[in-house]
Amino acid sequence: MPNLTIDGRSVEVPAGTTLLEAAQRLGIYIPRYCYHPKLSVSGSCRMCLVEVEKAPKLVTACSTEAAEGMRVLTASEKVRQARRDVLEYLLINHPLDCPICDQAGECGLQDYYMDYSLRKSRFEAEDKILRQKRRAAGPYLMLDNERCILCTRCVRFCGEVTKTAELEVMERGDRSFIDLKEGRALDNGYSLNIADLCPVGAFTSRDFRFKARAWFLKRTPTICLGCATGCEIEAHHYEGTIYRLVPHPNAETNTWLCDHGRMTYKAVRAGDRLGKALIRKGLIDLEPALRETATRLEEAKGAAAVLGSPWLSVEDNAALARLAKDSVKTANYCFDFSAEQGIKDGILVNKDPAPNTAGTRTVKALYGGLSLEEFTGLLAGGKIKILITEAKAYGLVKAAAEAAGIRLIIFARNRGEAPAAAYAVLPYASYFETEGTFVNYQGLRRMTAAAVEPPQGIKPLWAVVNKLASYSGAELHLDSAPRALKDMDF
Amino acid sequence: MPFKLTEEFRETAARIRARYPRADAALIPLLHEVQREKGYVAEEAMDELAKFLELPYSRVKAVVTFYTMFNRAPAGKYHLQVCRNISCHMAGAPGLLARLREKLAIGEGETTADGLFTLSSVECLGACGAAPVMQVNETYFENLTLEKLDALLEDMRHGRLLTGAKEK
Amino acid sequence: METILLKNLPDIEAYFACGGYKALKKALGLKPAEIIEELKKSNLRGRGGAGFPAGLKWSFIPPGGQGQKYLVCNADEGEPGTFKDRELMLKNPHALIEGMAIAAYAIGAAHGYIYIRGEFAAETALMNKAIADARAKGFIGRNVLGSGFDFELFTHRGAGAYICGEETALLESLEGFKGQPRLKPPFPALKGLFGSPTVINNVETLAAVPSIIENGGAWYAALGTGKSGGTKLFCVSGPVNRPGVYELPLGTPLRELLEVHCGGMKDGKKLKAVIPGGSSVPVLTAEEALAVNLDYEALAAAGSMLGSGGVIVIDDGQCMVKLLQVLARFYHHESCGQCTPCREGCGWLEKVLDRLEAGGGSAGDIDLLYSVAEGMTGRTICALADAMAMPAMSFIKKFRGEFEAHAAGKVCGN
Repeated sequence: MPNLTIDGRSVEVPAGTTLLEAAQRLGIYIPRYCYHPKLSVSGSCRMCLVEVEKAPKLVTACSTEAAEGMRVLTASEKVRQARRDVLEYLLINHPLDCPICDQAGECGLQDYYMDYSLRKSRFEAEDKILRQKRRAAGPYLMLDNERCILCTRCVRFCGEVTKTAELEVMERGDRSFIDLKEGRALDNGYSLNIADLCPVGAFTSRDFRFKARAWFLKRTPTICLGCATGCEIEAHHYEGTIYRLVPHPNAETNTWLCDHGRMTYKAVRAGDRLGKALIRKGLIDLEPALRETATRLEEAKGAAAVLGSPWLSVEDNAALARLAKDSVKTANYCFDFSAEQGIKDGILVNKDPAPNTAGTRTVKALYGGLSLEEFTGLLAGGKIKILITEAKAYGLVKAAAEAAGIRLIIFARNRGEAPAAAYAVLPYASYFETEGTFVNYQGLRRMTAAAVEPPQGIKPLWAVVNKLASYSGAELHLDSAPRALKDMDF
Repeated sequence: MPFKLTEEFRETAARIRARYPRADAALIPLLHEVQREKGYVAEEAMDELAKFLELPYSRVKAVVTFYTMFNRAPAGKYHLQVCRNISCHMAGAPGLLARLREKLAIGEGETTADGLFTLSSVECLGACGAAPVMQVNETYFENLTLEKLDALLEDMRHGRLLTGAKEK
Repeated sequence: METILLKNLPDIEAYFACGGYKALKKALGLKPAEIIEELKKSNLRGRGGAGFPAGLKWSFIPPGGQGQKYLVCNADEGEPGTFKDRELMLKNPHALIEGMAIAAYAIGAAHGYIYIRGEFAAETALMNKAIADARAKGFIGRNVLGSGFDFELFTHRGAGAYICGEETALLESLEGFKGQPRLKPPFPALKGLFGSPTVINNVETLAAVPSIIENGGAWYAALGTGKSGGTKLFCVSGPVNRPGVYELPLGTPLRELLEVHCGGMKDGKKLKAVIPGGSSVPVLTAEEALAVNLDYEALAAAGSMLGSGGVIVIDDGQCMVKLLQVLARFYHHESCGQCTPCREGCGWLEKVLDRLEAGGGSAGDIDLLYSVAEGMTGRTICALADAMAMPAMSFIKKFRGEFEAHAAGKVCGN
């Protein structure tokens, strides 16, 4: 455990800790471009040069290991001069097209220029090396070589994380540029991480491009429901609209976020988002739709069944369980879901596409119910006249329900999710619009957060269930999400 | 143009491969082999070589474009490479280059229409004591003067000059 | 005067006739540690340019039989003004092979590679022939001379990149990558070629080894001066009457090299400056050059370096602005592009020099050049940026008047 001092403050760090990491422990930020904590050390941008007493030259903080008795200066005049120089070199062949650059506001060149330089360039603008301007580099990314500072984070990401090695630095010297095989798309399932990793505006997201200026965005920490991995993320939104999802790196689950997960926000504002309910494919306000549904449930008497869903939060599953038990008063319900879980691609994507298989177990533990096999048998047996469930969970029993001609009451957020045969489709708030508890494949319980408001008139699923119950003549008193979890034991 | 690695190439490759504990170390020697056979390294050749060595294409392309000796387009029968570095510069390299540009009516990096000559200026060839120096294909010509250069060009035009690789 | 290296013994029979491979036989009877000790005593310093003591370098290799170790010969001769390794390989290839076999035995390497610059096709062919001849006689291969020591040796051609003369870039290139220098530590002695302990020595360094083993380290040390043991190959280019490679004891006056060995300036030209150690070292004025001795210490004291021994002679007909532009074009062309200051700085310097040389610069350009060069110094992974900056700063310091004349509109036009 070497002891060292950084800017006069001492710190003890485990052997092998770099100066950059040691400084971070003291809250001292050392600027960097090529360094990334989850990628191999490149040491080439030279932005993190610091002074070590008795060392003949400045050293890179990202690659130099802390040693006993080292005295490090991170803000001496020598260091500040080196940073100004490196910035100046980086900018000489940069197009300085910030007004039309999507990275503006979160650009390493802009930020460090403000922090460390503010010096006028001594380079003649007409001498700049021209490189290829923007082009699509796959379904999700734009590549602008002219803005690139050759930090190689993208190259290392594709080599070390996805191991697809599409990218390389071609040519040499100041003629170098990042490129991939002509005609090949950069589409490795994780490509948008490159837009995050890129410290400048060279790689930008095609999806996010020109949609919003970074400085207007509000950031709400939440979780990704793209699969059972349950990555921690941030939803970036402005005036009630989500513009992008980015990973919120954490030790337990994820540094990155897959392209599929990043696109899950799209359903929130998709053209087929349900702002009203459907009865026999006809749009109708929620209230009459619930009264109609309540009437049909009443007709069916004991022939109704309720199926929970591993795509719904624990709260919403609990509300469905209460609906079955205390309102419909039936034993024909099922919260029994299981799936093989675990990372399937060695990075993040889970074998289980549902985000809450583990969470439904707690609902089952409290409310019991049929096994999925028993439930499917029951549906196939012809005694059930009406089924209440969520659109994706319906897929698990679709064959049996269709064969038996069961009337379907489906909770769905988007029209495209709901089966065409549904008698009623009931809309509900997405988990970007309401809180919900999910348990990921590691057993970690995490909450979604309401980043934006749901469309007018759209309520959380538990609230819709509460209303349906009251129309059915049995109050469940679910007036908040925590109330739905009342008796639940986590 | 479809590109196939020949049986002969595969045999050579196996022999070269055996010198190293890792297959990828054979990449640069094998690129030399490709160039020796074809005169240049085509995109298709990079693809084939990448598959042959089980390397990403990007790695092969990055290596080809990093090193200056790999031609990415067919070069002329005689690749004239005039050293332009300090000792050769002082000994008259700019005059040699000017003479070649004038006589061949091409610029640096270009090939004559008859496919006979490609002209390049190159950095230090490591023969400064005999400056100025020009490398033609794989052969060095030293202590050049304009007169010697003219004579060399005549020899090349008449196929009287042996210059390594291409005649093998 | 002792000629150790530059003997004209291109084939193995001639080499035998001069006592060739006797040193290898002797070495195989010594303990590896004894060989390294002898090397240390010889004061042999690396002849590639950096001048690191060779015996010390060898001693960094973890001793013992475990694990693969490599010996690599750096024959990627590309430093402008330097052409000694080529001459040495052509004239005395077996001295290199014998030196490598001894070195490999001393450090416990079973494999060696000679990394030869790609342009040296004839030299590679000749080395291949020499290795084959040595193998046929049992000096290379399994069980060298019945000693139980195995040593495989191969040549490996580069492909046109000056930077591969930097030892870790050379290793990258030998492994089939772009030649980009590695971060150090780890140093090659612990993690070198294919991740194994590796010694990388210049051709001239390794070729000196047989004579040191045969005659003893003390004998070799006594040939030189002070801390600089032995003889050194000096390459002289530029307008002298007899340019070429000269083997002289370290400590020889530069004046003697130029006036006696090279026969003085050609066509009555006047000496203006000398770059004494390859293009990467600071330039000396004629006055400084004629007063300095050719050894590591004396050249350092004169503000320059012995470097590779490439002595570039410049006469007063040459324009220093033009020559610096030629050098800047070279370093710009050869910068690997990894580190920001070098990648961007070399090109910037060339652009400023382009306009100065053409008479289109301004007085501020001279300080700009100096400041850009200064900003590149000591800030990068390898020494290429410094190799650009050192000549640039020294040219400006010592020949500022020529730069000022260009800034005022002068055009030399050559």
